[in-house]
Amino acid sequence: MIGTKSFEAIVNGEQVKLNIPQNLRLIDVLRNYLGLTGTKEGCGEGECGACTVLVDGEPYNSCLLFALQVQNKNILTIEGLASYNNLHPLQESFLEHGAVQCGYCTPGMLLVAKALLDKNPNPTREEIKVAISGNLCRCTGYSKIVDAISAVAEKGVKR
Amino acid sequence: MTIGKSLPRYEGLGKVTGQAKFPADYYMPGMLYGKTLRTPLASAKILRLDTSKAESLRGVAKVVTAQDIPGENGHGVIFPDAPILVEDRVRSINDAIALVAAESEEIAEEALSLIKVEYEELPAVYDPREAMKEDSPLVWDKGNILYHLPIRKGDVEKGFREADVIVENKYSTQMVDHAFLQPEAALSYIDETGNLVLRVATQYVHWDRTEIARALNININQVRVVCATVGGAFGGREDMTLQLHCSLLTWLTKRPVKMVYSREESFKAHSKRHPIYMKYKTGCTKEGKLIALEAEFIGDAGAYSSWSPNILRKSAVHATGPYYVPNVKVDAYAVHTNNPFTGAMRGFGAAQPPIAYEAQMDLLAKELGLHPFTIRWRNAFEEGSETATGQILETSVGLKETLLATAKAYGWDVEKLY
Amino acid sequence: MGVEFYKPQKLEDVLDVLATKKGPLKILAGGTDLMLDIRNKKYEVAGIVDINLLSELKNISVEGEFIKIGSLVTFTQLANSTLLQERVPFLVEAANSVGAPQIRNQGTIGGNIANASPAADSVVPLIALDAICSVLSPLGNRDIPLNQLLCGVGKTRLASDELIVEVKFKLPRKITRSAFVKFGRRNALAIARMSVAILLGLDGNKVNAARVALGAVAPNPFRSLELENMFLNKAMEEIDVDEVIARSSMVVSQALGNRPSAKWKNEAIKGLMRQVLSKIGIM
Ligand SMILES: Cc1cc2nc3c(=O)[nH]c(=O)nc-3n(C[C@H](O)[C@H](O)[C@H](O)COP(=O)(O)OP(=O)(O)OC[C@H]3O[C@@H](n4cnc5c(N)ncnc54)[C@H](O)[C@@H]3O)c2cc1C
Ligand code: FES
Ligand code: FES
Repeated sequence: MIGTKSFEAIVNGEQVKLNIPQNLRLIDVLRNYLGLTGTKEGCGEGECGACTVLVDGEPYNSCLLFALQVQNKNILTIEGLASYNNLHPLQESFLEHGAVQCGYCTPGMLLVAKALLDKNPNPTREEIKVAISGNLCRCTGYSKIVDAISAVAEKGVKR
Repeated sequence: MTIGKSLPRYEGLGKVTGQAKFPADYYMPGMLYGKTLRTPLASAKILRLDTSKAESLRGVAKVVTAQDIPGENGHGVIFPDAPILVEDRVRSINDAIALVAAESEEIAEEALSLIKVEYEELPAVYDPREAMKEDSPLVWDKGNILYHLPIRKGDVEKGFREADVIVENKYSTQMVDHAFLQPEAALSYIDETGNLVLRVATQYVHWDRTEIARALNININQVRVVCATVGGAFGGREDMTLQLHCSLLTWLTKRPVKMVYSREESFKAHSKRHPIYMKYKTGCTKEGKLIALEAEFIGDAGAYSSWSPNILRKSAVHATGPYYVPNVKVDAYAVHTNNPFTGAMRGFGAAQPPIAYEAQMDLLAKELGLHPFTIRWRNAFEEGSETATGQILETSVGLKETLLATAKAYGWDVEKLY
Repeated sequence: MGVEFYKPQKLEDVLDVLATKKGPLKILAGGTDLMLDIRNKKYEVAGIVDINLLSELKNISVEGEFIKIGSLVTFTQLANSTLLQERVPFLVEAANSVGAPQIRNQGTIGGNIANASPAADSVVPLIALDAICSVLSPLGNRDIPLNQLLCGVGKTRLASDELIVEVKFKLPRKITRSAFVKFGRRNALAIARMSVAILLGLDGNKVNAARVALGAVAPNPFRSLELENMFLNKAMEEIDVDEVIARSSMVVSQALGNRPSAKWKNEAIKGLMRQVLSKIGIM
């Protein structure tokens, strides 16, 4: 197609190769081309974190990235975090602690939490708050989300 | 078996795995993208509306204006006074003027920019207190005052004469957006039986269905509204936003249509919390017993009614707060302005008065040298209390227990404070 | 539509693209500003030049008496650098105050400079440090002081085919104290309504170098010599805190004139000054 370019990346562990319009955002590729609609758009301008994905393990807002900018990178979306019958401990903990209400912020929250725990398995509450500070939740409030994350981060979370 | 126990959220699994489907997560082969043209003016007459250029743009399937609505051009949870698309009179900024359905979002966007609207600007009013005056510009010819609820109990004049302390003040609250995290989105299509199906996040499936049928001039059983996962609402999804627009586009093109608002359009399209201008005069005795209260609420309804009467009614009913007052005079008004319309939001009119009545309580306590706890304790509703509207509170009045628990949590020595 | 996305591998290729491809072209670093500007149609673009493959622009190093920071260094990198933590902690504080983790992972120091916002957080300490930008274009290399590169809200003296390669500043003496404070509407994701960066060089207890820069007060962050003079050649305990605070309000007031924000900023600066002074241990 004229005006398109090839986009290659590893998404949720699978090699992906697509032709896409060159100014397309990563979120649009994930949702509209790959059907990965677990990545949500809440603001489209970097303010809410609902569109968070992990690029090479670090959280990024997929609404602020051109897809071609992350060419050949390793991308993890909520769909890649776990499978339906084998949940990630964070997913279980979110359910257990009532950290999910409408669920629109949940994929982004889970992914920033995963990125945090991968680097820092035993964060303080303060560190958890910083980690989720780019993610808005309008329903649940943040304390249950922090509870859910710290419960996973071993019992000995410092206060 | 499970009373007193937290149950896991039954749809939680879908939410933590990213499988839950919010309306924007639905796609259909061959679907069109719908967009809305909104006006930048608050008060105007449409002189000319020219959609011809937009219609002839390649990839545009349909441009819809008020003329194309098969049924009634109005909606609203109480009165159908909000236009689906403005026919000639713009009453508020962001009123919808025209709709476009096109093969892609970009084309739809471009088509919007090709629609020409000629306006005659009209005088506008942005403050409900101004809007109540005789010489104010009229938002509606029938007058700007949408609703007035007087509440009278006892004799306030006498009450104030008997009061030892009187505190009189003005308070106001601002407009607030719900900012639910999921901006409005919908997907509509015609199913195999020829019925219209709309997938949307809504607080009123049944009412959406009624209003869509009325707008399309079809039977209600020809409309199916399927509530997708709702990304927060807080009252902001009680009024229609894109439900009617999306349905219209599908009905008139017979094709699936998807509409997704940006955050900005979401702010423009849905209701807001009422700003309320409050005047309070509260009197009490030396002992800290409330004896008279006079309050006036002027709520900014914006251009369309939505729930305004019910909301200002609720404000009025809550005017005394949870405190017994023998002599009460309350006047609550909902007043139209050319501001964005206001409607339901958490508290539904009960959230604004506490700003005023609790401040009054603190000020009275200060005048009398009483502890803030004491003045509240001495006036608190309990079982058997009579409210300003004459309701006898029969059961479940937990205020005093709550006050006690709070005071203890603060470490106050309540024994000394009764 | 119709935007061409270039992904050059080497500096020469970047220059080549900038010199030969159909414009208007825009350099893409993190994209946290560029994406929104393009989507909001702030300008037309025919091509986006993604410079992210230039790993040589992603380093922080010491060369002679200079610290050099590659233009693609992200806020996260700035915040995690032990060198910067030790020698210019206020630059680290500024980097940590940007947006939220996602924005810090993506946004770069070069983009922060080139975007030329009055509130750009990293720019305030960089101005205090008298930083210099190394800039490259098909015509060659040049060094330009940061305070000259910036020339108004959103404006720089960069030509359209010029690229910031790195930003450098003289390593402050070992014994310095520095701090950055920012006043935003909330803790995370808040653009500075006003910010202050301060750096004091110490000889024993005596201040022998002072830098004070203010952000979101003028079209670009600037140094206030007037405030700096109030610290110079004084022992720490001799600094007249009340006088500094009062004077800072006058400086802000002069810079803002009768702009509507002057009214609250004249007051707010006092609180910010107090915070920044207590952070460096003067109060
Ligand atoms: C949600 C959000 C929150 C933010 N919060 C803050 C904040 O708290 N503080 C703050 O200071 N900023 C903030 N920003 C703004 C932004 O993140 C910063 O300005 C960032 O430093 C921009 O860097 P970038 O790499 O993303 O730039 P880009 O968007 O890639 O580029 C910005 C501009 O600079 C040009 N450019 C980039 N690199 C170069 C170069 N090497 N040479 C020449 N030109 C170049 C680009 O062409 C473009 O015009 C925020 C932005 C968002 C979206
Ligand atoms: S949608 Fe990307 S940050 Fe809100
Ligand atoms: S659960 Fe609704 S936004 Fe977080």
